[in-house]
Amino acid sequence: MSARRKAWGAIALALALAGAAELAAAGWIHAKAWLAQRLIAAAWQVGRVDAQAPRPWPGADIRPIARLTVPARGVELYVLEDASMRSLAYGPAHVSGTALPAHRGNAVVVAHRDTHFDFLRNLELDDVIDVEDGRGAAAQYRVREVQVVDQAETRVLDPTDASQLTLITCWPFDAVQPGTRLRYVVVAQRVA
Amino acid sequence: MAAVKATGGRGASALWDFLMLGAKAFVSGLGVALVLGFAAVVLASHAEAATTVTLKDPRAGELLLRTDAAGRYAVAPTVETEVAIQVTGIVARTKVTQAFQNPGSEFVEGIYVFPLPEKAAVDHLSMQVGPRLIEGEVREKEEARRTYEAAKSQGRKAALVEQQRPNLFTNSVAHIGPGETVRVTIEYQQSLAYDDGQYRLRFPLAATPRYVPAVAKVNAIDGEVAAPDAQDAPILSPAYAVASVGGPVNPVDIAVIIDAGVPIANVTSSYHEAALQKAGDGRVGVTLVKEQEEADHDFELTWTLAGGATPQGAIFRERVGSAEYGLLMLVPPQPDAVQKAAASAIPRETILVIDTSGSMDGASIAQARAAVTQALDSLTPRDRFNVVEFNSILRPYSSVPLPAAQGNVAAAKQWVAGLRAGGGTEMEPALAFALGGSSPAGYLKQVVFMTDGGVSNEDALFSLIAAKLGNARLFTVGIGSAPNTHFMTKAAEFGRGTFTYIGDVHEVQQKMGALFAKIEAPVLQDVAITWPDGSPVETFPARIPDLYLGEPVVVSAKAASLAGTVIVSGRRGNEPWSVALTPSAAQSGVGALWARAKIASLMDELVRGADPATVRPSVVQVALEHHLVSAYTSLVAVDVTPTGPSFVKTAMVKSALPRGYGNNAGILPQTATESTLELLLGLFALAAAALVAVIGWRSA
Repeated sequence: MSARRKAWGAIALALALAGAAELAAAGWIHAKAWLAQRLIAAAWQVGRVDAQAPRPWPGADIRPIARLTVPARGVELYVLEDASMRSLAYGPAHVSGTALPAHRGNAVVVAHRDTHFDFLRNLELDDVIDVEDGRGAAAQYRVREVQVVDQAETRVLDPTDASQLTLITCWPFDAVQPGTRLRYVVVAQRVA
Repeated sequence: MAAVKATGGRGASALWDFLMLGAKAFVSGLGVALVLGFAAVVLASHAEAATTVTLKDPRAGELLLRTDAAGRYAVAPTVETEVAIQVTGIVARTKVTQAFQNPGSEFVEGIYVFPLPEKAAVDHLSMQVGPRLIEGEVREKEEARRTYEAAKSQGRKAALVEQQRPNLFTNSVAHIGPGETVRVTIEYQQSLAYDDGQYRLRFPLAATPRYVPAVAKVNAIDGEVAAPDAQDAPILSPAYAVASVGGPVNPVDIAVIIDAGVPIANVTSSYHEAALQKAGDGRVGVTLVKEQEEADHDFELTWTLAGGATPQGAIFRERVGSAEYGLLMLVPPQPDAVQKAAASAIPRETILVIDTSGSMDGASIAQARAAVTQALDSLTPRDRFNVVEFNSILRPYSSVPLPAAQGNVAAAKQWVAGLRAGGGTEMEPALAFALGGSSPAGYLKQVVFMTDGGVSNEDALFSLIAAKLGNARLFTVGIGSAPNTHFMTKAAEFGRGTFTYIGDVHEVQQKMGALFAKIEAPVLQDVAITWPDGSPVETFPARIPDLYLGEPVVVSAKAASLAGTVIVSGRRGNEPWSVALTPSAAQSGVGALWARAKIASLMDELVRGADPATVRPSVVQVALEHHLVSAYTSLVAVDVTPTGPSFVKTAMVKSALPRGYGNNAGILPQTATESTLELLLGLFALAAAALVAVIGWRSA
């Protein structure tokens, strides 16, 4: 009886450990996403005074290039240079080759739908987005349109004559697995 | 826990029963939750297509748009295409009607990316809104775009046809109302292709997703936006839908009427099932059997003249304004055995280049391997050869061309059999490698380039070919269901060779055989045309290339008058040769074809380094005069009365993926973490642990 019980106990323990590990992994993704942004925020503040931003944490190989806020939704995010799988773990990232945020042209920023860009689902037409870059250039954008497009629809990255900010994340927001084919695209027109 | 039970005594047994009941309830609840959770995970893993479908509509492969109301989604417009082609002589006039349907519940803007033949002269646009027909006008590109945007912001219906590439167009339609259908018709001319005794008419139905090389992206830096109308401007990639479920994505119906003027025979639809009707007056009608054919494989129709006759040559004329336009076609007679033998005595150095990029995945790579093997088989021991594979990187079989000895060829064939598709399409190093190096004196250097041409930096490649060609000849072979024929035709033109299209793996042997028989020796060289009465004539092409077996001379001309005899002369082998032609009846569309050829020639100057500031006005002038869409001009039609709100959502109408095409075009970044999945799995495992613990407890 005792041996049998031990076996059951062992299985339960193994499952519990596996479950805890998965939960920890999920938590780690969110913790990293949150913590990195806080550390970057601190570094950004220092950088504004010293004109030379220190590394957000020792050994960090990412560089914030803009601060993005949506006052109406209480969102404050730091946009990182060069969108890659790694930089996206720490924050929204700028798609290289597109215009820089707060500058002329089509500035494209992407982020994960379940961490930093979770708020996009609540963004509505005419919501205001403020952006400032590391050198103090500031711009205000107003949400003009929202599209759901196929992932092959790279035209949303195309240069534009007018200044706009394009925020992209995966869609649907509540899909369990990553790797969906559709993208949620928010286009905001520069107003100031 | 067992201790609790033992020391609890009788008084605690009621409590114990109650607790057990609770535990049982918990376990059964947990069981249900587990089953549901497991089902959710399993279902979610069956791709998100299912997720969007369950949102609203059971039909898969549709593009959904978020509406203002939470949880409600609009369906993007779908396009039905009707194609009516009228062939007169060697000119085809095609009428393409695209019906944009909006199945959703709000106003949307539809944008449809579609291919047309590479030499299509698009000269007409009309938009049918209810009973009204609005005719389009040709304007400079920016002006047309402004007109369209203005109409859009005023809530008026508008249609805009823009050229993205010479063979890729977009049709934007603003303000398609809920449940409404807007029909947009465009018309274009093209001259028929003639090759090896066959007339060929192609209607492209699927556009190959273009690969944009990494280096091409750096030109869009802050404030310095590349000219949007330049040839190398970023291309619109159609939003591809994989039609795995449901009906055709964008159904197409095609009807062709051939009025050749003389009896024709052997009318064949190469890739689609088609029905033939012959009228008493010699006209032939062709319609698709499956009424709504999916737009994922190009339509091709071929025919010959009845009784094995070859066309002798003809000049068609059209008077537009004060000028007269002509279209000349002439098929040189076949060489006799002696001429053939003399020509094929020249040894050749053949460089076979094969595209193994990701866009070649599927049937295309198999065709390419078969084609290369066939080419290797056609070599004779005195020839020299090399094989080059390229995708993101370049991999030659040998660093220098090898003699085509039996052993070398056999080893090369084995190497070819192992080629697989994957990666990007960096064509430039491959072209440079194939055209570079110097072949030994007395050798005729021929580069055979097999690709689907899925590239966007076309102009850079043309410049490279023009600069590096030397005495070599470049022959392009289009592979797959939707090769970029514009690129390959032009590349062959710059390479002074020819373009061959292979659409089906079963055609490889026949088409490659024909190509190699052809390129053994040119039939006619130094071709020149003498026009009547010595007045200045502007012709395209300005210089006529070498002619290979079965190829015609096709020339567009403009002069004050073209009445009178025209003499075409050249050299066959070592003998002079000439023929005289008299103009036949008038034919409409000849002027537009000349204008299209002139625009193409002006755009080619751009490739060779001409200043865009001087080329642009010339192109605009010709395009406006002949009412043509070009890189700098668009057709725009605007309805007079507003019919919708001033805010609309944009929907990209999906294009069907070319047949045999994997799912790996350029895509937007993936932006989702594993966290939700891990959270679910974690909870699932914890719940399972609890379940096991309880079962273990009970069984103990």
